[in-house]
Amino acid sequence: MPPLQLLPAFSKPLTPPSALLQWNRKPQLSGPTPRVAVITSGKGGVGKTTTTANIGLSLARLGFSVVAIDADVGLRNLDLLLGLENRVNYTALEVLNGDCRLDQALVRDKRWSHFELLCISKPRSKLPLGFGSKALTWLVDALKTRTSSPPPEFILIDCPAGIDAGFITAIAPANEALLITTPDITSLRDADRVTGLLECDGIRDIKMIVNRVRTDMIKGEDMMSVLDVQEMLGLPLLGVIPEDTEVIRSTNRGYPLVLNKPPTLAGLAFEQAAWRLVEQDTMQAVVVEEQPKRGFFSFFGG
Amino acid sequence: MASVWTLHFRSLPLRIDSNIHDSSFDKMQPCPITSTNRIAIRNGISNLRSQLKHHSFNSIAKFHHRLVTSISMPPFLLNRNGGSNFPIWVCVAVVVLIAAVRVVSRKKERPGSVADLVRRGQLRSDRRGISRPLKYEDPFNNPFVKVGKSDSTVEMCGKVYRLAPVTLTQEQQATHQRRRSRAYQWKRPTVFLKEGDEVPPDVDPDTVRWIPANHPFATTATDLDEELAQNNVYQKHGVPFRIQAEHEALQRKLEALQNGEKLNKLVIDPSNAKEFERPFNSHARLNDQAEVNNQEQKPTKLVTDSMNAKDFERPFNSHASLNDQAEKSSVNNQATDFDSPKIDCGPNHVENASSEDPTL
Ligand SMILES: Nc1ncnc2c1ncn2[C@@H]1O[C@H](COP(=O)(O)OP(=O)(O)O)[C@@H](O)[C@H]1O
Ligand SMILES: [Mg+2]
Repeated sequence: MPPLQLLPAFSKPLTPPSALLQWNRKPQLSGPTPRVAVITSGKGGVGKTTTTANIGLSLARLGFSVVAIDADVGLRNLDLLLGLENRVNYTALEVLNGDCRLDQALVRDKRWSHFELLCISKPRSKLPLGFGSKALTWLVDALKTRTSSPPPEFILIDCPAGIDAGFITAIAPANEALLITTPDITSLRDADRVTGLLECDGIRDIKMIVNRVRTDMIKGEDMMSVLDVQEMLGLPLLGVIPEDTEVIRSTNRGYPLVLNKPPTLAGLAFEQAAWRLVEQDTMQAVVVEEQPKRGFFSFFGG
Repeated sequence: MASVWTLHFRSLPLRIDSNIHDSSFDKMQPCPITSTNRIAIRNGISNLRSQLKHHSFNSIAKFHHRLVTSISMPPFLLNRNGGSNFPIWVCVAVVVLIAAVRVVSRKKERPGSVADLVRRGQLRSDRRGISRPLKYEDPFNNPFVKVGKSDSTVEMCGKVYRLAPVTLTQEQQATHQRRRSRAYQWKRPTVFLKEGDEVPPDVDPDTVRWIPANHPFATTATDLDEELAQNNVYQKHGVPFRIQAEHEALQRKLEALQNGEKLNKLVIDPSNAKEFERPFNSHARLNDQAEVNNQEQKPTKLVTDSMNAKDFERPFNSHASLNDQAEKSSVNNQATDFDSPKIDCGPNHVENASSEDPTL
């Protein structure tokens, strides 16, 4: 291996383990642990992976032990978003094969040691289809009973797009679901369908996150409002994430948004969603539009 | 708060005016800015400015204090020194005024300045040594998120938004659930068949999922033994199954070899020696698998490589070599990580070790 490869690993800044944005209070954990939640949407590119990364790290920063499972077999990218791509040597496939133990396949985040990543398989490798659901259920079960470190309080499963084998695999061990949708009609139709399938499979606790909301467009009636979305799907709201260019920037840096300082709108929204997830709470009010600027506030804004 | 500000600014010009009236105008020269003065003034500006940029309300109070002291000084000084310092104080007052005006218009912060870049998240403030952790109550009530008094507005990151209450009721939720359960009837597929396969007799056709033969990411062929795979998943300690199997196969092979050598010591069989290099099938299979995962860092390859390198010296120690790596990596990772030494204890943390591994 060329020595150049060493550079990135060692030139990584020594980020102290404390978060830049810290909360004095902790949310009250509700429900039996581990909470196994699948993050799904039907449509691709609506922000499932972004949500998994940000909510996962928020939970870890709140002090909960989290395992995020990247069940997106074909198009794995949760590791990229988390900046952990260089550390994935073993995946669940190697665990099944007996090449390593489950605890060895977990990638622990160095910034927040409560956070661990498990990838199902490497790109281009094929997991036998009939096997996925069973395998993932065993994996989650083994995590529940693990002894090498405390069992996780949250297991988040990043579901691939579509309602194919990957979806079937990802939902199998879940007790609850976070449905990600954007306020547009194609994403909504898929979301409704996926919700239907989840309900058929016995997952009743489904909450939605509306992503990429632009309040300026709602005001101009170019986009559905979050309340319109809710009326069409009839699901309780876990969070509303605004469209934010910081999301893309943080994706490219491999540094989830919720770690940003200063905090961004979308980052704060993810933290709020994580908080509600812990407390099994839902939103009671949503932001509908930007208030016309008043002198007083623009004076202090910034 | 706004009233505090206006108070400051109303009081400023008044005080300066009175200073000017006190002094004798004929002594006044065009403000003699020597180089030291200039530096002092510039320092003053940057001090003030950097102080002000941190714009917490505490520092406004401090700033107020400063203003008052700096402006109320001149009369004493003037009395003592006969006004020679007066022009400097005028300059300082002007500078203070400019700084104050800049605070007011700090929204028009120079684009591209470090502070601006940090504010927009393009630079990481914590990497520039100007950050301390922000500790707040919770994500719903902090300096970035404030709900208005009437619960109808919220201020987030400096912008005020209108809030609308969520009106979804339990009945509406139930109605939607009923609608969906009529619209989508589904059973989670448990049987996966290639298009064209026969449905086995004991299988509910509803639970069959048909997979196109050329599906890019999936295969219906199961070459894994389910029970074995399940055991592998639940294994908590010790050597992983495959590694163990290899180890045992290697051991058997070597024993056989040694026995064979004892029997016919004089006959050196070149094919035997050759076989020793690639002793068993599972090894070859591992390499095949590694080819499937090509371009990735190959963990299986990594293990086999180190076996090649080390295990001819210590043939019965494939397990030990794995542990060596794990140990090496945890040592390495401690150097880059002051979290906890226990964090990195598995092969997924092996990357540092592998890049140092002389066999690669
Ligand atoms: N709130 C947002 N604002 C702006 N861009 C977003 C937002 N959420 C997601 N994106 C972008 O959308 C793209 C797809 O997101 P991703 O999380 O990978 O979706 P999925 O996992 O559902 O396919 C990414 O490039 C991401 O940066
Ligand atoms: Mg994704």
